[in-house]
Amino acid sequence: MTVTTQAAPAATQEQEMLISGSEAIAEALTLADIDVVTAYPIRPYDTVMQAIAKKISGGKLVAEYIVAEGEHSQFEIVKHASTVGARVFCGSSGVGWAYAMECLVVTPALRVPMVAMVGNRALDDPGAFGVEHNDALFVRDLGWLLCWIDSSQEALDTTLIAYRVAEDRRIFLPIAISADGAFLTHSQAITKVPSKSLVDKFLPPYNRGDLQLHPDNPITVAPQVNEDWVIEIRRQNNAATERAYTVIEEAYADFRRVFGRGPENPWFEEYMTEDAEIILMGMGTLSLPVKVAIRKMRQEGKKVGLIRLRWFRPFPYEQLARALGTAKAIGVIDRDYSFGSPFGSGVVATEVRAALYNAERRPPLIGFICGLGGREVTLEDVYKTTEICYSAAKAGKTEQATYWLGVRE
Amino acid sequence: MTMSTLIAERHPSDPLFRADRLPHIWCPGCGIGPAMHAYAQAMVESGIPLARHVCVSGIGCTGRVPGYLNMDSYHTTHGRAIPFAMAIALVKPELEVTVYSGDGDLFAIGGNHFIHAARRNVDINVICINNFNYGMTGGQVGPTTPMGARATTAPFGNYEQPFNLPHLAAATGAVFVARWTSLHLRQLKQAMLRAMKKRGFTFIEVLAPCPVGFGRPNDIGDAMEEMTLYREGCVVDPAAPLDSLDIDLRVKDRPIVLGNFVDVERPVFDPLAMMRPTSEAENNTAVAGKTQEGQ
Ligand SMILES: Cc1ncc(C[n+]2csc(CCOP(=O)(O)OP(=O)(O)O)c2C)c(N)n1
Ligand code: SF4
Ligand SMILES: [Mg+2]
Repeated sequence: MTVTTQAAPAATQEQEMLISGSEAIAEALTLADIDVVTAYPIRPYDTVMQAIAKKISGGKLVAEYIVAEGEHSQFEIVKHASTVGARVFCGSSGVGWAYAMECLVVTPALRVPMVAMVGNRALDDPGAFGVEHNDALFVRDLGWLLCWIDSSQEALDTTLIAYRVAEDRRIFLPIAISADGAFLTHSQAITKVPSKSLVDKFLPPYNRGDLQLHPDNPITVAPQVNEDWVIEIRRQNNAATERAYTVIEEAYADFRRVFGRGPENPWFEEYMTEDAEIILMGMGTLSLPVKVAIRKMRQEGKKVGLIRLRWFRPFPYEQLARALGTAKAIGVIDRDYSFGSPFGSGVVATEVRAALYNAERRPPLIGFICGLGGREVTLEDVYKTTEICYSAAKAGKTEQATYWLGVRE
Repeated sequence: MTMSTLIAERHPSDPLFRADRLPHIWCPGCGIGPAMHAYAQAMVESGIPLARHVCVSGIGCTGRVPGYLNMDSYHTTHGRAIPFAMAIALVKPELEVTVYSGDGDLFAIGGNHFIHAARRNVDINVICINNFNYGMTGGQVGPTTPMGARATTAPFGNYEQPFNLPHLAAATGAVFVARWTSLHLRQLKQAMLRAMKKRGFTFIEVLAPCPVGFGRPNDIGDAMEEMTLYREGCVVDPAAPLDSLDIDLRVKDRPIVLGNFVDVERPVFDPLAMMRPTSEAENNTAVAGKTQEGQ
């Protein structure tokens, strides 16, 4: 009862390719042999949809490629395709993702395992093409699983992992993979592209079972249930999100077993944190300048480390509380804003503060808002962050909860 | 022999543009600029003071037009120029409201607004730069891409039936419908003048080269070549049946038909009419500043 499109000739051997984050996702989609993809252009998501178009025209992928007339229909189409058993892909950026909001709300509620890519982009107005994380973040409470990546390799690997997790019957939730606009979507790096046979060992076919819409299996998708069932359905959704902790760990372990690479800790990357007094945190490609700055500061004897968060939903609060407990101060760099939030902090800083509330040790935590609208997070910004964290560590408390960095006066 | 040089310090149209916004974003050979100039000239010649003109756009290369014009203008969200303009026209009927936007903005993501504003005969002008693709985002296939034409998302050539825009506008209720190109600037300006004079929903399609997004994948060498294509391939035939106006570049020698195709009268959308005393509704004083010329 599964929908099958004709299979395209697949690469039989692992290859190394010089590809961008967006192209890496298109490679993964080819290996995952997706069935239906929809497109509506917006920078920087358009780079992925064009890379997929090339895969199809080059005979590497056989899939339905539907050009929608706006993001709203773009997300509707794949949602329905998924309910009839198709493996689907979709995505957008900034206001495009915002325009799809109605469908984004419905997708997890209907337990549709869509994999989407968000090429992170500032929301208009004021217009900007550069990265901010607020676009993907506004589905954070709805049952979408959310992760951030920082390299082409991680883009490829995470896309495969995302299908494995989303389509697990224990989950059946959509996953949005966030890639920083321009910094990752457009920059190329050497990437290992595995063989199709290995991928098949890791990623089973999508099987919707008795939830699949089919003439032989008449079911109603999205009925009106009113107060009779709403809270029960919401709780089921919550339970699935909680099961994701286990399913994601299983998927990463299996990924390592099959491909012989990949992180042991799915939740976040730790860089020089073993002996770190100051731990900086953030998501996405700001890891690059932060790592460079850390190496320089280490030469001066400053014990600084980085935790780069990969998964934001489900939020690894227990794992983070353990990893952050030994720090003397924590600096969270947000490439987002949350006006009117507690302490005026960005979204990640607020979540980390909440995660530490019940922890045995709660080091001083300072929020930094930086790099909005695609502005670079500079080495100077990172030095400044560290300096502020050191004074908080010395004082044993936070003088000021949130700083905006790199802002013209 | 000495050559005398003639240096003009000012261009007659200078006051209409915001020099501080230059350089503009458009590529060499882009058709949006000349068509914008035609609009600027039409505003001057319309006899309506510039202060009463308003220009509204959505998002796209064409959508940047209001930002370069030295007048009241709005750069709205993608696809939403028409409802925005509609609100202005209803609240301040004495203003001359023109939507200036791209084919993708007006007919893909914003298509719904177009048909309903035309159906209601809202008193706005809609000027659409049709460059057959989403220019700003990198040349993707859109709702006006001709059959067979290639785009970044149609590598085998477009297989979807595109809109015949004049036909669509007329069928949904526009009272004035025209099509010109960025080569036919004089006729285009005249059509704009007619639209500005007319009350109700007017629509002008402007075919314009996008050498980067549309020209390149379709083996049209440069903007000059696309202009030559217009010069050689266009015929002016205002009486042509509307359903014959579709553009198909695959069929050699099939002409692109231009002209002012529709110019009719119909009651203009006026939601407050029913609340006004009859005598007042008949000669709506709010729009007294705008005279309706006969045909
Ligand atoms: C909701 C939303 N989706 C997508 C975009 C990205 N976008 C910017 S311009 C554009 C298309 C513009 O095409 P068109 O209207 O034909 O104008 P042109 O650039 O060709 O003049 C798109 C899709 C956006 N800004 N907002
Ligand atoms: S991409 Fe096309 S429409 Fe946009 S400025 Fe360039 S030529 Fe003009
Ligand atoms: Mg266009």
